[in-house]
Amino acid sequence: MWRLNAVRHKAGRQGSDLEEFKFKRREHEKELRRARKDSQLVSKRLLLNDDEEEDGTMDTLASDRVLGPCITTTVRDEDSIWAFHFSSLSFPYVLRQPNSIAILVTNLCGPNPQCRLEAARCLHELSHSPHSEVDSLRLRQATPYLITFLSGQSPKFTELCLYTLGNMCPDSENVRDMLLAQGIIPALNNCIQIHRTNLAVVEAVGFTLSQLISANYVTGTIIPAVLASGLIPRLLSVLTPDSQFGLGPVIECAWCLHYLACSNVDNGALVAQGTLLHCTSLLVTLGVAVAKGSIEEGIELLIWPLLRCVGNLLLSGPLGALQPQLNDSRLLAALCAFPQAFLQTHPALARESIWVLNNLTDSSVFCSALFYLNLVPALIQLLPFSHGINIMVLRVLGNIAHQGREYCLHLAQAGLLPALCATLKMADTEVVTFSLEVLGQLMASDPQLAEEFVRQSGLPVLEAIQYSNQETIRLRATHLLEHHLPPHCTVRTLP
Amino acid sequence: MLQPELIQLLTASDLVDLRIDAIPKLQVGFRPGCFFSSSRSQDGEAKLTFIPQQILLNKDHELFEDGDIHRHLYLQNLSTCPAYDSPTARQCEFRCYISGCSQVFSTVEDYEHHYNTLHRHVCSSCQRSLPSARLLDIHIQEWHDSLFSILAERQDMCLVEGCGSKFRTRDQRKDHMIKIHKYPSDFMFDKVKRIKNIKIAKKNMLQKGTSMEVSMSVSEPEGVCEVLSDQPEEEEYMEINHSLEPGILDPASNPINTVELSTDHDTAPILSVTIQPTTNQQRPQHNRERHSYRVPRTVCFGQGSVQGFRGHGRRI
Repeated sequence: MWRLNAVRHKAGRQGSDLEEFKFKRREHEKELRRARKDSQLVSKRLLLNDDEEEDGTMDTLASDRVLGPCITTTVRDEDSIWAFHFSSLSFPYVLRQPNSIAILVTNLCGPNPQCRLEAARCLHELSHSPHSEVDSLRLRQATPYLITFLSGQSPKFTELCLYTLGNMCPDSENVRDMLLAQGIIPALNNCIQIHRTNLAVVEAVGFTLSQLISANYVTGTIIPAVLASGLIPRLLSVLTPDSQFGLGPVIECAWCLHYLACSNVDNGALVAQGTLLHCTSLLVTLGVAVAKGSIEEGIELLIWPLLRCVGNLLLSGPLGALQPQLNDSRLLAALCAFPQAFLQTHPALARESIWVLNNLTDSSVFCSALFYLNLVPALIQLLPFSHGINIMVLRVLGNIAHQGREYCLHLAQAGLLPALCATLKMADTEVVTFSLEVLGQLMASDPQLAEEFVRQSGLPVLEAIQYSNQETIRLRATHLLEHHLPPHCTVRTLP
Repeated sequence: MLQPELIQLLTASDLVDLRIDAIPKLQVGFRPGCFFSSSRSQDGEAKLTFIPQQILLNKDHELFEDGDIHRHLYLQNLSTCPAYDSPTARQCEFRCYISGCSQVFSTVEDYEHHYNTLHRHVCSSCQRSLPSARLLDIHIQEWHDSLFSILAERQDMCLVEGCGSKFRTRDQRKDHMIKIHKYPSDFMFDKVKRIKNIKIAKKNMLQKGTSMEVSMSVSEPEGVCEVLSDQPEEEEYMEINHSLEPGILDPASNPINTVELSTDHDTAPILSVTIQPTTNQQRPQHNRERHSYRVPRTVCFGQGSVQGFRGHGRRI
């Protein structure tokens, strides 16, 4: 099980009823989708206290703690006596006190290690709190110190600082600019170097970095700074899953790489630093694991960002130039294996896997390899499925057919023509359009294929499409009937 | 779940050469003058426009939505649910592309059955669909062939495949088919009647004093809305006098299931199914044939009210 049990959202699992949980989860998912449409999709993480972690049950009010005598001592020195009780109810009270954040910061930098830890925990909970009275503006007083402490040696303390900063990143562009100016990126680089053996801290670094670069309206300076900082090789070195610790750190680093690649700021630099090579070899490793049947819980969270990263990096240059980094033919097998394995559980992942294949099959080398490894039948079997899967598969098949006559003949041998007869009847007009395009390529490449299509009773299907009220498919069907059928076929085309 | 070949590929031993550049490359290119010249039509407009295209997806692309949601559910610790009800892949549906039909089916077989029943072997003159090419030929000959209709001696063919007998009258053919080919006497030889409201038909039957079987037909789709003609009584009389046979209904999967009544003295086409024309297509001029019996002839809305409607039951 992941260590990630320790890092939870405060909502957690309230209510022991599974149905209630599932209902809440569905509602939550709807909210997230709405948020994404409004470009407001952010998440924050809460690091649980160690004793709560052992406890195992999640109670939102369990974070009731009284700060130790250090705080009250300090306060008493200033002639006011009050103690911090940290539950979500007390935040407004806490913040209404004058200089409350300043007091926390003082303790953060103070000599007492226990006070430091407690103060960091308070700040962390404040950063995570959704309470409207928590003003990140006031939390900003703490950030220079938090950033400084990232180069410290204490893992637990560093982890708290990291998650606090990570929670603050999505708040506003000003916050991010400020963090950048205060040197968060070199600090992260340093931190991951110092704590490279402590995977919990590495995970926290990955999370914070992903929050920094994935927030909306990321300024033009953040990503170039990351690319130039030397963080990339360190992220790449994390990309070997540790079987004991779990997938958490790798997942965070992979999402960082995805956000960097899809921003398309300087993908050439990413490739030059070895990103494509590392991501593809990890995908192959995961493909092998999937083939052996050992599908870990949450493996899709790792496959997803890797696919996206590879898919976008394939456009960073001509495929011929990238080929040395793509030389393992098992990558193609893995890209065909993921849709089969995840079709029923995560169809979107299947679709993205085939999207990567689309970007790869722009080159005849990879098309030839698909035939050599006999992977085309696996693709053809995906044609009945919607969710955009069949459209993406048709794109791949179109790419292959476009290469030439040999490729078309091989496609027909793999059984494409009967499959096209079925896709031509589908309800989605886009599917029919793509099917007609692919069919056109096949029939034009060799008259044998046109005859084979007629033998498969494909003619009536084309004739039926002529009666459609969708012009795109009507024109294409008519064109195919007029120009590409064998001469002996009687064709009934509409005037 | 995974095909054995894929498993083998991925778990292959190190001895196998897995390098892409070791794989032989197939020859690229088409025969000269083969494809690209003919992909354009005579007016020079490209009809087939597909070209390979690498696709770059940015962070907010809609294709990435499900993955992002999954990621954030994980960050918020809501993804570890034992019975995760995620979206599953759906099989594509099939649609009939004949203009105006637009029915949707969940399997290819359903679609093909629909197409074969309604859109194959269609008579282009009267939009009727016949079960086979042979019956279509016979229908065209008997109904739309002007030369045939003026022959001194009719030559109605026997309907059974392989029997070439010809007859001078419909009744002779019918007798032949019953006697020789052992067809049931209530087979749909001639007229078929479409009756919307069984109550009306029975009422009419009682009025006219004939007893016969009545067949109910399935409700017609929207779009066929005919006003009753001015003299419904006479027509009904004529119709009832003809023999009524239970219609051969289409399979239940097809909701378009109407059989036509011809008011001509000629008999209706055999086993024919009328394709309901939609507003897109022109309607054949058979106004008198399509009666909607949805509105009952006489309805009493309480004491003292007019029995029946003003006018002749115009359908609302």
